[in-house]
Amino acid sequence: MDFSLSEEQQLLLESLDELLERDCSLAYIAACDAEHRQPVEFKRAMHEAGFLTLGFPEEYGGTPTDTMTLCLIAERVARQGLNLGYSTEILQVLDILEFGSEEQKQAVLGVLAEGEVPFALAFTEPGAGSDSAAMAMTAVHRDGKVVLNGTKTLVTNAVDSKYLLTMARNPDATDPRRAISMYLVPMDTPGIELSPILKMCWHTADSSEIFYNDVVVDESCLVGVKGEGFVQLMKNFEVERIMTATQSLGLAEAAFEDAAAYAAQRVQFGQPIGNFQQIQQKLTDMAIKIENMRNFVYHSAWMVDNDCLDRTQAAMCKRYCSLAAFEVCDDAMQIFGGLGVTEGVRVERLWRDARGHRFGGGTDEIMVHIVGRQIVKQHSR
Amino acid sequence: MSTVVAYKWSANPQDAVVGSDGTVDWSRAKAGVGEYDTIPIELGRRLADATGDELVGVSVGPAAVASPMAKKAALSRGLDRAVVLADDAVAGWNLTRVAAALAALADRAEATIVLTGDASVDENAKMTSALVAGSLGWPCFQDVSEVARTDDGWRLTQVVSGGTREIEVSGGVVVAVTTDAVVPRVPGMKEILAAGKKPVDEVSVSEIELPEAALEIQGRARPVMATRKHHVFGGTDAVNQLVAAMRADGAI
Repeated sequence: MDFSLSEEQQLLLESLDELLERDCSLAYIAACDAEHRQPVEFKRAMHEAGFLTLGFPEEYGGTPTDTMTLCLIAERVARQGLNLGYSTEILQVLDILEFGSEEQKQAVLGVLAEGEVPFALAFTEPGAGSDSAAMAMTAVHRDGKVVLNGTKTLVTNAVDSKYLLTMARNPDATDPRRAISMYLVPMDTPGIELSPILKMCWHTADSSEIFYNDVVVDESCLVGVKGEGFVQLMKNFEVERIMTATQSLGLAEAAFEDAAAYAAQRVQFGQPIGNFQQIQQKLTDMAIKIENMRNFVYHSAWMVDNDCLDRTQAAMCKRYCSLAAFEVCDDAMQIFGGLGVTEGVRVERLWRDARGHRFGGGTDEIMVHIVGRQIVKQHSR
Repeated sequence: MSTVVAYKWSANPQDAVVGSDGTVDWSRAKAGVGEYDTIPIELGRRLADATGDELVGVSVGPAAVASPMAKKAALSRGLDRAVVLADDAVAGWNLTRVAAALAALADRAEATIVLTGDASVDENAKMTSALVAGSLGWPCFQDVSEVARTDDGWRLTQVVSGGTREIEVSGGVVVAVTTDAVVPRVPGMKEILAAGKKPVDEVSVSEIELPEAALEIQGRARPVMATRKHHVFGGTDAVNQLVAAMRADGAI
């Protein structure tokens, strides 16, 4: 089994390292986190260097790229300490490139070129988180228009977004499985009200509650096929779960490096604390978890690229990596002692951001729901 | 007619580890296009785009210079093609022979201008540009931040103490570019994939004529370390005393 990177992947990662050194310093990330703002400058630089169009079809200015390479890039950016710094936009835009009209594609690609977030996904509702079937937002089609009413919550990156990719239900649909549709709604449409939500994690990605009060849009805002919204959204969800796992992996690697370096130089009782067995055990277990995460992520990416991803792999990968990364960050914080909870020490931010991945993109428990029932089903006679 | 850039494929000394006994461990240092060489490549790319010339990279080094990885790394930076001399025998060459070989490759590429970095990242001798110019019989200008084509040659902006000066040169010229002349582009996947298809001309030692410049290194030693002085000047005349002491030590 050959685990080596191709020359192209090696060179691409070297290019990425150059970009990270130039446009995404540790101080820059810390400032974005402290100021609760998007790393727009870095994303613009990534777009100029062609990273944000990797995986896109060539006719849209992209370079077809395998999932493995996308994961390598996402991991490296997260390892720099920037959570959600890469990959989320690509996956979102792929949905539009696959199902959207030409006008929608050009609109979204244009925003991406500015280094800005193409759109925010408005999916979760106060009464419909893991239970997405309980979605209450309605979309009523009438005379060439669509009227949207409802509330979405914990919408990521909506504050500066130009569009909301909104999931809404047709109240008159007879088949509940074909009730939900996808709409690309301009943020400045009358009737949309946004209320920011402050969080303890993911400061570089804002969250909002969004109220749709008789929002009227043209039917051309429909993305893809009416009634197929959920199926369309789920198409890339498996890859999105693997990408979320790469975020966890990268953050854990950053925390581990910080903790190991600290343990090697922090002196207590006349010697580096890295000499003490309990610290060494923590570091060893952290290294093992990181190795496991790495293997899980890249095996999963390999399965996507070889078209053999089964129904449980992505969910298992996401669950394991989210939990393991948080444990690694927590141990890293413990190694730092009191210093670890002070602002300005990176591990504090890594710990907060790692925690968010235990529910972002699907909770730990929903991953069990997906995998567990499948395991039982496979073993049932 | 071509704009030629001389680049070096070498290990980054920042990755080398110096032991307490002074030995240098290069095992962790990864080879790459010299950090200072990416700048003339970028400058050359912009110049070639403006003039319509071809941008050709030339390099002399051990066999690894012609490896697929080395070729792609250099070509993905914006070169149209490369001409390289890749031979492990080069490891024992002095700078004069290396520069003469680079000049021969530049001549082979029909250079009208040769750009180099400020210095090589590993040796930092800052001599290659002058030696290449000497071999070609061309003038050489170092610390150049801008280059433009004129009707019969080039206009250079050279950084000098206290500012810059504009120089017009007719005919061919060798230019060493400052480290802040341009910000080099970062190769993306498109550039890396395209690099694999660009031509590389591999030249052997027997195909070029080289001078018999002999250089024998007699020895290496650390410079004598002066003892650090700890002298605190006090009183109202402290500043004058400090200045006098620094003058006496030749510091000012």
